[in-house]
Amino acid sequence: MATPTPDIPAVASPTPEKAPASQRGYPGALVVVEGIDGSGKSTQLYLLKRWLEINGYRIHFTEWNSSPLVKSATRRGKQRRLLTPVTFSLLHAADFADRCERQIMPLLHGGYLVLADRYIYTAFARDAARGCSPRWLRNLYSFAPVPDITFYFRAPLDVAVTRIVAGRPKLKYYEAGMDLGISLDRTESFRIFQERILGNYDQMIDTDHFVLMDGTVRVNKLQKLMRQIVAEKVNLARYAPKPKKK
Amino acid sequence: MTPSKKSGAPPDAANGRPRKKSKPGANSRAESPSRFYGIPLPGVRPEELSGSLIVLEGTDGSGRSTQISLLTEWLESEGFAVQTMGLRRSFLVGEDIDALMAENAVTRMTLALMYGTDFFDQLERRILPALRSGLVVLADRYIFTLIARSAVRGISRDYLHGIYEMALRPDLTFWLNVRPEVAFDREFKKSHSISYWESGRDMSLSNDLFQSFIRYQSMIKREFEYLSKRHGFFEIDGECSVSEVNRVLRKRIAAQLGIRGTHYQPSHALSHLWR
Repeated sequence: MATPTPDIPAVASPTPEKAPASQRGYPGALVVVEGIDGSGKSTQLYLLKRWLEINGYRIHFTEWNSSPLVKSATRRGKQRRLLTPVTFSLLHAADFADRCERQIMPLLHGGYLVLADRYIYTAFARDAARGCSPRWLRNLYSFAPVPDITFYFRAPLDVAVTRIVAGRPKLKYYEAGMDLGISLDRTESFRIFQERILGNYDQMIDTDHFVLMDGTVRVNKLQKLMRQIVAEKVNLARYAPKPKKK
Repeated sequence: MTPSKKSGAPPDAANGRPRKKSKPGANSRAESPSRFYGIPLPGVRPEELSGSLIVLEGTDGSGRSTQISLLTEWLESEGFAVQTMGLRRSFLVGEDIDALMAENAVTRMTLALMYGTDFFDQLERRILPALRSGLVVLADRYIFTLIARSAVRGISRDYLHGIYEMALRPDLTFWLNVRPEVAFDREFKKSHSISYWESGRDMSLSNDLFQSFIRYQSMIKREFEYLSKRHGFFEIDGECSVSEVNRVLRKRIAAQLGIRGTHYQPSHALSHLWR
């Protein structure tokens, strides 16, 4: 049998090195947080948002999987457990595309500092843990702008899992990776699934220039560091409140 | 206009496969390089797919649906079980796409990826099980329409081909080629109006609906010409009569499936389609 020669070449590149923010063709900036559930990323991004907001900066906050456009499909798919790794991934990509084209891109062009709780790396880590090809995933999200800063909040698996399990009455089916058939025990399945995701995140630290944040450090101390890094890497003056016209 | 210059193409070339003569029928599959364009879908063993996937492509008004009704009847009369697929027919998101399109607030990437979800949901939940059971799947449009529509809206072809690299390679892909003017006449006759999406009005091509339709469908047609070369479509002049187009389709499909006779006369229920 002949070797399969794909006549459809798929783009197989890690996140391309893009020009610095000032040369990207838009005046805005994009700061994202990534990490497994329970790593503390959402708390930290919330505090960063409050800091910028209280000081009157032009910011916008956006979350993964929040668009009303594909909500009914996601809900239907999850309730009836119809999603396969591929359709799960595509549906989330459609959702992200909607947010990207209707929120993130216009805001970046309009000169906003955009804060994103989870970004494309969530899909890379999670969907690859479900068995999707990393090359296919990279291509799927290649339309997304590359962040100015990607904070990767890393907490040991046990710490993260304990935080989530303690705070939730019951883990959801897909959240626990039950569709993978790893284990019949939800907590156990969740643990193994998160472990795979954690491994996938770790592999992107260098290739995607993650800023590693230790999720076990005290909240206020970590926030201080986060604010420092943002102030260093982003030209905050651009997003500062403009003096009112007299 | 476009004569079906490719309709005599050898079967293997018509499938983008190496020009190696293989006997039509069961054993042709074993010799084919791969049933997928790139990476296979997770969890699919290509060797267990014993059915055949036959695709009919063509723009709006090219006569695809009519031909699929007739082919289904013919194949069933020959003893083949048939499964059909088409765009926006998935349980998962079919209705959501209808709703999105009615709103027309949707952007091109979102729509492209919703169609992708719709396609893979049907592929994984309907088509693969059918092919495992040895059915003949007749697809009323396939990835090529999806690629063409997004490509004319400026999404990169490599990107689109990348998304669909996990799609199953059809055993046969027919392209019912008609001029946009003829498609316009047929569509207008059918519904007495021209729809927003069929005339590509989201692309702001012209305020005149006829002009917009013709320009949009011409762009789609050019994409199909490119795709036809790349993927080796079996091109048929869709402006021929229904019975003539059907005859050409039957002849080629019969060769593929190893059916001896190609005689067919539609039943009373379908005789109205026989023009």
